[in-house]
Amino acid sequence: MRNGVRKLWALAPTLTLPRFAGEGIGVAVLVAYALLYASPYGLRVLTVAGVYALAAIGFQIVFGLGGALSLAHGAFFGIGAYATGILGSQWGLGFAATFPVSLLVPLLLALLVGLPVLRLESHYFALATLGIAQVVHLLAVNSPGLTGGANGLPGVPGIVLFGWAVPRGLPLAAAVWGFVALGGLVAWRLARGHWGRALTLVRDDPLAAGTLGLDVGGLRLAAFALSAVYAGAAGALAVHTQRVVSPEVLEFPVMVSVLTIAVVGGRGRVAGAILGAVLLLHLPEWFRFLERSYLIVYGVALLATIVLAPHGLTGLLDRLFPSRPAPLPEPAAPPETAIPTGPLLRVEGLTKGFGGVRAVDGVSLTLEAATITGLIGPNGSGKTTLVNLISGLETPDGGRVMMGNSDMAGQRPDRIARAGIARTFQAVSLPEGANVLAAVAAARLERDGSIALAEAHALWALERLGAADLAAKPCAGLPAALRRRVELARALARQPAVLLLDEPAAGLTDGEKAELAGHLRAIAATGTALLVVEHDMGFLLPLAGHVLCLDQGRPLYEGPPEGVRSDPAVVAAYLGEGV
Amino acid sequence: MITLQLLVNGLALGAAYALVALGFVLVLNATAAVNFAQGDLVMAGGLLGVALAPHLPAYLPLPGLLLLPVVLVLMAGLGLVLAAAAYLPLRRRPPVAVFISTIAAGIILQNGASVLFGPEPRAAPPLLSGGTLDLGGLVVAEQSLAIIAVAALLIAGQQWLFGRTQLGRRLRATAQDPEMARACGVRVTAMILITFALGTAFAGAAGLLLANRYFVTPTAGGDLILKAYIAVTIGGWGSVPGAVAGALLIALFEVGVSSVLSYPVALGLLYATLLVILVARPQGLFGEAARRRA
Repeated sequence: MRNGVRKLWALAPTLTLPRFAGEGIGVAVLVAYALLYASPYGLRVLTVAGVYALAAIGFQIVFGLGGALSLAHGAFFGIGAYATGILGSQWGLGFAATFPVSLLVPLLLALLVGLPVLRLESHYFALATLGIAQVVHLLAVNSPGLTGGANGLPGVPGIVLFGWAVPRGLPLAAAVWGFVALGGLVAWRLARGHWGRALTLVRDDPLAAGTLGLDVGGLRLAAFALSAVYAGAAGALAVHTQRVVSPEVLEFPVMVSVLTIAVVGGRGRVAGAILGAVLLLHLPEWFRFLERSYLIVYGVALLATIVLAPHGLTGLLDRLFPSRPAPLPEPAAPPETAIPTGPLLRVEGLTKGFGGVRAVDGVSLTLEAATITGLIGPNGSGKTTLVNLISGLETPDGGRVMMGNSDMAGQRPDRIARAGIARTFQAVSLPEGANVLAAVAAARLERDGSIALAEAHALWALERLGAADLAAKPCAGLPAALRRRVELARALARQPAVLLLDEPAAGLTDGEKAELAGHLRAIAATGTALLVVEHDMGFLLPLAGHVLCLDQGRPLYEGPPEGVRSDPAVVAAYLGEGV
Repeated sequence: MITLQLLVNGLALGAAYALVALGFVLVLNATAAVNFAQGDLVMAGGLLGVALAPHLPAYLPLPGLLLLPVVLVLMAGLGLVLAAAAYLPLRRRPPVAVFISTIAAGIILQNGASVLFGPEPRAAPPLLSGGTLDLGGLVVAEQSLAIIAVAALLIAGQQWLFGRTQLGRRLRATAQDPEMARACGVRVTAMILITFALGTAFAGAAGLLLANRYFVTPTAGGDLILKAYIAVTIGGWGSVPGAVAGALLIALFEVGVSSVLSYPVALGLLYATLLVILVARPQGLFGEAARRRA
């Protein structure tokens, strides 16, 4: 069946439309429907669809772009709703006062709980946010003095814009959709800009994102907080539409609806949130016989989408009407960074234990500018752990990592990366959804002001490794040797003073290894200090000026490469003989 | 005396939670996937008991207990359907895909139940007579003891199956390392299907056990999945004995705090405690058992 589908795709028209043609048609249809056909009831459904579109746009930021399955989004929606409901009905405040509060309270709560909770891994994060949502719901139901308890609070005033009380029907729908347009535009600009790119890398590969100088925690927190603002705004508009606030706004169906809208519409896409909301809010109208259990339809839609069309409806539309690929930028060399001479990185007595095992035990080494140092040792001798400790992916138990005069030991990976250390991974990880140019440009996001500039610099890095022709190719499906090349270009694009390479020649043919050796020599010639972890002595020993051999976390040999093969301790460690 | 009675109640609740958490952790270990529908499966088991009860012949003495095998078998079948629809098509996708697909399955179950049964709470028949026993001044509900006994038997059965049989060895091999198990000739997909069937059957049994004293509503799944999740988290993600211990712990906490304060307070405190544990000790109280799969 898979093959049949693929053939169908091949038959699909390869017609390319002008940019935003689809969005333009969609908006025109929506406006025409609202103005010409919609009954008062239809306008009400459309208004509620706008409310959910706004909430789903916020969810796209934290879940679609940031990859964090926040189940507290419904709670933020409900808190925004209660803020407006309580202030509007009990305190008699107007829209101009209540709306900002409805944005602010969810924002503050998100910042408060986000700091600890965002460190958690995916499923724990989902659980923790669900826990938050349940606590908020319990509080709302059980504090009747403040929230009206299970009955809620009636008498919430309507929206007042610049002194004009917006009446129900078409004006209210227009006002709500005005907020959707505004919020959608902001989110769309953020998503396709610098920040959105950084956030998607944090989603796809948080480890790599950190080593490319991106503040993973800060980006996630910002996404979580911003999504809460959108949810709060949507909650406020929901209450203005219904004129009542009750615990219903905090119940799981709100969360389920937003999640379904985002996934069915297309993860991470603003257009997907809007399309999904309009479609799903109208679905119950077509399945009237289910009455209040329309959520069955949502469940089926959610399951079918995640199984059959993981990129949602906008993803399907993209495949039917592919947009023209953006032309490649002109390569441009980034501004030179002056690399000092002499010792660049001094590691002193670095130690790390896992449980009872001393993975790295008192290792010291110095990387001089414009040199290549080889790091060898049997499997499990602590080579990768040492690289992880220097690049900040693991926290050392003791010892120092000196860059110039500052000790980087135990610092966050992005701080270490900003200090001038870049690295590659033993198992190459590239974001599968991106093309090569975008993957390499991720390394420049922290420094370059615009994506265009980052991509121009990325192309420069690819050119230096003779890989510019890969730029437009998708990362998914690249053969192993080319993946390693792209990852090296990404590290090179950081213009590092110190470059740590974890088995860069693994899986390469002899010809490719010779080519790689040439590239590494050229990189060293620019002043960069290289540390190369490698098993292939035929590749490494001619390349390195200096070699360090580890065994069970301890330095076994340090000196010129010529002495390695004849050192009895090294031979014993590799062959397992008694010395 | 009151304390002892509370202890028995807590143990009975904990025994049922333990079945829920056990089913959750078995599926987690076999598939590295979080089954978000587990709570809704408990609810489904409870309502299945409610639906089957009128069909029992009235002259038989042990009404509830007779339903147990029927519920187990039907729920195991539902587990197979769940695996086929929400897990197998997504095996090669990121874990969040299965998370969402099981949320979707839960939504379908929950709202399907509310169409069929309506939103009001229902009670399943008691396992035995529904009376009380006087054990030297300690008055205990027969149902509590029956829940403990049934849950203990089912857990012991699971331990025997996994520890002593050839099938159990294959199931454990699949849970430990599916690639390696496949290389050794284990039919991994079949093992995963069996695990889903087993986990769902346990959820169903828990539903039947709970649905007499605590009633069952179509929306009961949300709190149950959270409790299973909390049990597995404090017991150490992936640890089978830890899940059982965690379930007993939270049930005792819930019964204890409810008796002094109130159920909403107990629930709120439980979730707050969970947040503190997650933040302070994400590896659980007893250490994390499941390795990260690359």
